[in-house]
Amino acid sequence: MKLTLTTVLVILGLTTFSQEKIWNTFEGTRVLNNHSTEMLYKHNLEIIIAHKFGDIAGSNGGFDNFFGFDNLADVRFGFEYGATTNFDIGLGRNKGVNQQTQVIDGYAKYRFIQQEKNGKPINLTFVSSMAFVGRKASTDSTSIAYYKEPLERLIFTNQILVSRKMNQRLSLQINVGYHHRNLVTYNDVNGMIFTGGVIRYRVTQTFGLITEYNHVWNRVKATGQKNPLSVGFELITGGHNFTIVLSNGRGINENLFLSNTYSDWLKGQWRIGFSINRRFKL
Amino acid sequence: MKTKFILYSLVGLLAITILSFANLSSKTTISSLTNDELANLSVQEVLIELKDEKPIHYIHKENADSVRMGYELVHFGQLKNKSNKRISKFFVCTDCHNQVKEVRNLSIETADERLRYGIKHQIPFLPASTFYGLYNKRHWYNGDYYKKYGDLVLPTRDTLINAIQLCAVQCSQGRPMQTWELRAVLHYLRSIDYKIKDLSLTPQELEYIKLHLGTSSPKTIKMIKSKYAETNPATFGDPYISISDDAVGNIENGKYIFEKGCLHCHQLGKNITAFEFDAESLTFSFLEKKLKKHSNYSVPYIVRKGTYATSGKRQYMPQYPLEKMNKQQLIDLIFYIKSKSK
Repeated sequence: MKLTLTTVLVILGLTTFSQEKIWNTFEGTRVLNNHSTEMLYKHNLEIIIAHKFGDIAGSNGGFDNFFGFDNLADVRFGFEYGATTNFDIGLGRNKGVNQQTQVIDGYAKYRFIQQEKNGKPINLTFVSSMAFVGRKASTDSTSIAYYKEPLERLIFTNQILVSRKMNQRLSLQINVGYHHRNLVTYNDVNGMIFTGGVIRYRVTQTFGLITEYNHVWNRVKATGQKNPLSVGFELITGGHNFTIVLSNGRGINENLFLSNTYSDWLKGQWRIGFSINRRFKL
Repeated sequence: MKTKFILYSLVGLLAITILSFANLSSKTTISSLTNDELANLSVQEVLIELKDEKPIHYIHKENADSVRMGYELVHFGQLKNKSNKRISKFFVCTDCHNQVKEVRNLSIETADERLRYGIKHQIPFLPASTFYGLYNKRHWYNGDYYKKYGDLVLPTRDTLINAIQLCAVQCSQGRPMQTWELRAVLHYLRSIDYKIKDLSLTPQELEYIKLHLGTSSPKTIKMIKSKYAETNPATFGDPYISISDDAVGNIENGKYIFEKGCLHCHQLGKNITAFEFDAESLTFSFLEKKLKKHSNYSVPYIVRKGTYATSGKRQYMPQYPLEKMNKQQLIDLIFYIKSKSK
């Protein structure tokens, strides 16, 4: 307890000195699927178009559906805005995955600490997001989409992200959070505690490699859900950020990929996805 | 008794009236100024005292409130209380224009002098002319700016207010400024016009000016105007720079140009341009690769040609005319980039 208090006091103490801030720990507000600690500049609008194709291999992949390109796992259009330097809001629309389709998501994100050259050692950001499943309710009482009232359609994810730009090439991030679905199947749990990690390595000024993994600690094995693991690379072109991802997660939004990933890397159930981010000054 | 009182009152009023006129007439005794007092006068006011023609943008009396508003518009793009809309969502004036003197001797506004004075005083090395003394110029958007903006520059060449408006609409890709905003900026520019002390005058020249104050003296006007440039020429250089094998670049100068020029807008976190970078080796390697390709995004090309506003990407970079960054300075910058990319 004393140690925790001391750590908090040290971090708060460091915030009182103005130092040269460290920027671009990550290139965008998303790493591959999940949020990064990075924020939009004030008055900047970011439009994100993210897409995930079908399985590359396995029983649903292969040449018949051209390695997943004939199928669509999920697609998301997002509009995100930097209200202040440290506060972002966003709204998105997802195709959705499995039985949770036609999903609208929104989030608020606040940066408490920004890394500094000779000051604060980390970035610390909190993200609270919510999703609403818009599909028609299922009539199957065993379905996860058997909605009897609107509140059952809500999914929440709150997480704390901590990152550090180690040097110009290497950035690391860990995240801890709580994911909650208001309605789950009889053998599942509503609340999930998860931890994630990200490694980003910039090979050149405009090209970087990224790995992202999220582990749910209290996942019910009987549901067959898997932990989402993604690898990818980014192409940075100034104003644009283009990311290619290989992932076993079908969903793009954190409210979907944390509890809706059933694909197994080892069975070839992974897919290509991409996202294009474009920023505008408003 | 009553008559005496009225008489004394009238005499008193008359005395006050005479004294007030006497106070006004003190302006005409400007020739009695000391050298120090004269040094602090604005060049424009002295020229008017010498019966020079008033410029179109002449402001008789500086208004402190207008100066403050002009300062805020120039530095923040809108008033601090946010009662007006931002002039541009992309740029503010200080992204491209300094607000201080850029050379020691105002009659020698060469690129070399800017560099020397800039390094000494750590002044940003920017592509556009400083606002300090802009009020004293007589022509704007000169020379090759016609190549970039065409006929748009014609109304600006002899009218400062038109130049400010063109800068707002074209250079910063913003909205047209309202009349009160233009006036506020003019008042601000007047507040940072040249002072006599900026002109590097000898004591004899100061005495000569004092001697002629209040009289029509074209010779004195000419002498004063010879101490600063009334026009900032602009010559666009060749983007295809050939560096001979025996060419030598000054790394220190290149470092200053990179840090106080390039990074002034492109520094990570500044949110001025979409292309941001830092002073790390990845950046220099990237810039050096572009150098080898001689592409439109190589440093010499961007420095000399800038970029243009396009649909969906309206903010653009102005180029450095040779008067702001000469050929040797560009070579210095290239040598610095190469030295850091190793």
